[in-house]
Amino acid sequence: MSAMPRVITAAAFLCALATGAQAEPLRIPVLVPITGFLALEGTSQKNGAELALRGSGVDFDVDDTATSPEIAVNAFERALTSGRNREDVVAVVAPMLGTQMLALVPLADEFAVPMVTVSGTARITELGSPNVFRFFPGDVVVKAAHARFAVEELGAKRPAVIFQTTAYGQSGRAELDRNLTALGHPAVIAEGLDVSVKDMLPVLSKVRDSGADALLLHLHSGPTALVVRQARAMGLNIPIIAGSAMHQPETAALLEPSELAGVCAESGASPISETNPDMLAFADAYRAAFDREPDAFALGQYDGVRMLLAAIRSGAKSSADVREYLSTQRYQGLAMTYASDGKGNMAHSAVILCYAGDSRVPAIVKRYENLTGVL
Amino acid sequence: MSAVLSSLTRRNRLTIVAVAALALYALFFASSYDQRILTLAGIYVIMVLGYQFIFGHAGALSLAQGAFFGVGAYVTGILASQYGTGFLLTFPLSIAGASMLALIVAVPVLRLASHYFALATLALSQLLLLIAVNWVSVTGGANGLPGVPPITIGDWQATRGTSLLLFVWGIAVAAMLVARWQLNPLRVAVFTVMRDAPLAVPAFGIDPGLLRLRAFVLSAAFGGAAGALFVHTNRVVSPETLGFGIMITCLTMTVVGGRFGILGAVIGALLLTHLPEWFRGLDEYYLVAVGVLLLAMVVFAPDGLASFFKQRRIPASPPGHAATGIEENATSVKTGVRVLEISNLSKRYGGIQALDRVDLSINAGEIVGLIGPNGAGKTTLANIITGIARADSGSIGSAGFDLTTATPTAIARRGIARTFQTPQLPDGLTVHEAVATAAANIGNTANKASSISARATTAIATCGLTRIADARCGTLPHGLRRRVEIARALAGAPHILVLDEPAAGLAPPEQAEIAEILRTLAASGLAVLVIDHNIEFLRPLATRLACLDAGRLIADGPLDEVLADDTVQNAYFGLVQQ
Repeated sequence: MSAMPRVITAAAFLCALATGAQAEPLRIPVLVPITGFLALEGTSQKNGAELALRGSGVDFDVDDTATSPEIAVNAFERALTSGRNREDVVAVVAPMLGTQMLALVPLADEFAVPMVTVSGTARITELGSPNVFRFFPGDVVVKAAHARFAVEELGAKRPAVIFQTTAYGQSGRAELDRNLTALGHPAVIAEGLDVSVKDMLPVLSKVRDSGADALLLHLHSGPTALVVRQARAMGLNIPIIAGSAMHQPETAALLEPSELAGVCAESGASPISETNPDMLAFADAYRAAFDREPDAFALGQYDGVRMLLAAIRSGAKSSADVREYLSTQRYQGLAMTYASDGKGNMAHSAVILCYAGDSRVPAIVKRYENLTGVL
Repeated sequence: MSAVLSSLTRRNRLTIVAVAALALYALFFASSYDQRILTLAGIYVIMVLGYQFIFGHAGALSLAQGAFFGVGAYVTGILASQYGTGFLLTFPLSIAGASMLALIVAVPVLRLASHYFALATLALSQLLLLIAVNWVSVTGGANGLPGVPPITIGDWQATRGTSLLLFVWGIAVAAMLVARWQLNPLRVAVFTVMRDAPLAVPAFGIDPGLLRLRAFVLSAAFGGAAGALFVHTNRVVSPETLGFGIMITCLTMTVVGGRFGILGAVIGALLLTHLPEWFRGLDEYYLVAVGVLLLAMVVFAPDGLASFFKQRRIPASPPGHAATGIEENATSVKTGVRVLEISNLSKRYGGIQALDRVDLSINAGEIVGLIGPNGAGKTTLANIITGIARADSGSIGSAGFDLTTATPTAIARRGIARTFQTPQLPDGLTVHEAVATAAANIGNTANKASSISARATTAIATCGLTRIADARCGTLPHGLRRRVEIARALAGAPHILVLDEPAAGLAPPEQAEIAEILRTLAASGLAVLVIDHNIEFLRPLATRLACLDAGRLIADGPLDEVLADDTVQNAYFGLVQQ
């Protein structure tokens, strides 16, 4: 055997090695708010994404977007243009804060990179972008469940609404108004609360004076706990149906079990309330990794990233491939079945959970499946 | 080329090298992300340059700069995203909107002092934030308004990267030129007097209200411009642009970089936009790291990092270069002509009759001594003559003008200048700068820098201070500070000079020097009113002596006669007549 074939073989092998060495792993940057007023929810989002990505072979870096659009855009540009090959980024885990998402949408469209998020702000999927994928039921879904449970299950005829004066709050309030009116029982009073307000007595007094027979909350975690506590302290014993912040174990931890009696909440899911083996395994893994209880934001982001990984396993090698997969495929996650409605809304089901008053772990009392009819 | 380079100062050469290095990096080596951070820095440079007007130069802690930034952002955001208005219209409208808001709120707000001013401006910010959050139909509420287009001029578009970077820094350079034009060394010195020697402000023709208004509106205009560029950079306008976070960012940049000068704004903005990015790798600890570093900077460079570099100074004219002399102006009033006529002047503070029907006149070329025990009303009379206090009744006239109700600024411009019991000199200004501020504001010559400088130089020479013209006032001993005050009073070419205890705390040789200066000035036609307790200082100096007691003028005449008067002896020297 002449030396030439061996040389050619060796050269081909070296080339293959070199090519292999140059190939960077695919990347999914995780851009989430882990400081600021949304740190609690943002940390859940981060943990959910991180748990899904660990050991997946996909590279990821976590970057804090805090609470301003400016910092979110900085983080996005850094993730895509600083240092490494932009083509390696097949998708981005994008912040759950609505104003940040609104700033990122034009950038994601420009870079043609799909964003996977658990933001509840309705508007982010109404901008006509093909790159937004929401793995948490939006306000259209959860507020429908919220209003229907209050009216149809609890018999509320004079509901009161307290909402946060943030993007999250205003978006949810609009959907609550729409649904309550459609059900024939519009809110007798709707009051906005700034996140810095600590004394809820004035607004609760207004609710009592309005003659409301149910109180619907759409607030962040801390204000939700304050309203529940002060409502109970002042003897306002009408049913309270809170927003998804109430389902978070960290929110329940701020209250005594007795204060939680008669309190319900809407959510996309409640991992600590579920008993099926897959969900129990997820909850155990989450606790082991982060030493805290999982919530619906963590689970939604976990499911979203698992769908991204499913896309990669099915052969997706670029952001375009991933976007195509997310847009067209159905995915059975732990919380629910996900599929795009054509606008990037992937989650279409919600649950209502209630606290019995003897524990901080709620029970799921009602499931609202496929509220949008997409599935 | 080499001649041009050699003509530059070391600081300018360093600046050119630093700017060139930064430009090379930004254009040829920076990633898109790096360019974005530099673009944001350029926007913040504009904002901080504006904030320096009100916070640095006017010395007022405004917490409204974030609000002006937000107004600019919302004007552009709403017009561009909802109505498709182009940049060439939205940008000036953003500047005008913020400036108009500043003009409107200035009337009630600028009257407030220190912390009340800060609270009022903070309230303005909070009010605008509430409007932005709750006026959903116009502002988009807490979500804000997405869909702000990139900057577009004709067919050219600055989406992001190099084009946006160059455009924003182009505007930043224009803002620097405007700031430099507005803040020539003389006006900086005037602001310094207003900030550090507030009592002297009105007495030297400086209108503090007008200065603060100018600073407030300019800060708003710059803030509005920065806000407009900011929304084009982020492509969304949201309540965060009106939030306190922006204000804190601006304040921190100004404190860290420096409250004065372009360099301070550039250093502060570049550093503060990059610091969080440099420490990003520390994950959740990066805020702590940034905080510690900022604290260290504030501790070790309390005047800002730019204070390590020299600031522009007003160039002093050579002594022989004075075009118009003080004496020349003073002698325009003929010696012996009555230049000040005080009639039946009364002033009461609560239960105390500070002045009681005082009549006093002064002629050109005359040195009138005013004595009296403590509390006799001497300083009150000086304050009323110079407009700092208002008489309850009576009148003051000078050269045919009724100055009874005139403002201090108007009185100063009518040729009545004064010094203070405690010298009111800003420590940070040089002697020449301190004197030039008065020359600029009450001088009769055209307000040209060269003539102002020449007048200041002449006044300094008249007081024998030429060799210390470049020394900072804060470094001078008490005796020299007294003479600098007299020089400053002379710089406006007054006809009447009111001196409040000019010899207090001075050694006899220093008193003699001041007396000699005053004699020279009087000989040239200046009317001088000297308030002092020191009879030994007045005896060889005053051509006439007046004595106040409990607000009443008890004597007025030749010095020896007044000193011999029994009433004066009794009231002033405490000698009880047997």
